Amino acid sequence: MNGRRARCAVLVLGALAAAVSHAAAHHSFAAEWDARNCRDFTGVLTKIDWQNPHPYFFVDVKDANGKVQSWSFQAYSPVTLRRNGTDRQVFLDHVGKDVWVRGCLAKNGKPNAAAAGTLKFSDGVLRQVGQIQD
Amino acid sequence: MRSSSSVHCMAACAVALSVIVTDAVRAQQPPPQKYEIGVMPPGGPPPRLADGHVDFTGHWFPNGAGQGVSGRYGVDPAATRQFDPKATPEEPPVFQPWALAKIKSMTPTELELSKSSVNCMPRGVPAIWLQNPYTTYMVHKPGLLVQLYEVLNNWRLIHLDGRPLPKDPEPFFHGNSTARWDGDTLVVESVGFDERTYIQPNGWFHSDALRVTERYTRPSMNYLIVEVTVDDPKVLQKPWKSAPRRWTLGNGEIYEFYCTNNLELEELQKLREKELQEKGGQR
Repeated sequence: MNGRRARCAVLVLGALAAAVSHAAAHHSFAAEWDARNCRDFTGVLTKIDWQNPHPYFFVDVKDANGKVQSWSFQAYSPVTLRRNGTDRQVFLDHVGKDVWVRGCLAKNGKPNAAAAGTLKFSDGVLRQVGQIQD
Repeated sequence: MRSSSSVHCMAACAVALSVIVTDAVRAQQPPPQKYEIGVMPPGGPPPRLADGHVDFTGHWFPNGAGQGVSGRYGVDPAATRQFDPKATPEEPPVFQPWALAKIKSMTPTELELSKSSVNCMPRGVPAIWLQNPYTTYMVHKPGLLVQLYEVLNNWRLIHLDGRPLPKDPEPFFHGNSTARWDGDTLVVESVGFDERTYIQPNGWFHSDALRVTERYTRPSMNYLIVEVTVDDPKVLQKPWKSAPRRWTLGNGEIYEFYCTNNLELEELQKLREKELQEKGGQR
């Protein structure tokens, strides 16, 4: 996804956020994640770590210099993901494929870690996989 | 001439703007639009047990949809809530002055840490009915109501044989309960609660004098109504009564949910210490 498309996606997602049902907050998002430091990521989904209370998925993202870095993304609880149609099998079906994620970075500066908000796999379906905070 | 990507972006933004406009219009007019997920209809009459009492068995969702609504698009706002505050307003609790002062002295982070969604403590009774976004499965037999709470995989047995409350109850997160029928309403009285729980996630703590009354009704197949009265004279100036909160019948599974390895607590404790330093011992 190039820069223009990414900016466009942000605009669209920002508007659509108003239409999504409020998510059940679990942990204190504000304690760990910086809602003022969110960005779009594109890369390849490499693996998932499906666990309570939050699954994590991992994406190989190319930085500005073209170097690939592995990022981890925290998601909703497994129960919530299952009930909103993005269960473990959906993630597994897209391992090795392109993914777009909107995520907020860790407050404590932990490298390559983010909390996910919205996500698109290669099927183009917009999915809410974590709390929107921006 | 604009590039095709610009045109596509403008089109997409137009769609997005239409959502915003639609929301604004919705706020001014009766809701004309169709939602993908709406309010579940009440269904037919409630089932009954062999003893003639209403059967509360079912998988209950804490919303009006009978299915999960978190992170889903196209949900009727009326289906996301348990009661309409305009139709059945809920009065705020009236605290004793010392209790109100204690709540007001809490820093923002202390408030966060008091939430069971953050500290991973059991919600307990009555918070399990007041601040729980996860489902509850009930198994009802003559003489026994089993409540399986999805959140933290908690459970509770309520015996329906009218057994007396203990005089010196052991403090439990879900209290010590006795139950009786008032027509088709199951009335559950409970005492003896673990004092680490909060009634609501706004700092509302309780004392060892807490007494909770839950009133359960199933007016129709798909609806479960839970009404809670909190009597705690050490903390409240008068008992507090919740709105009748509606849970709706789902047809899915109850799943495992544990709160483990909560790294955020460490970050929150750092924030709390910083806040207390900034207050400079003003408490």
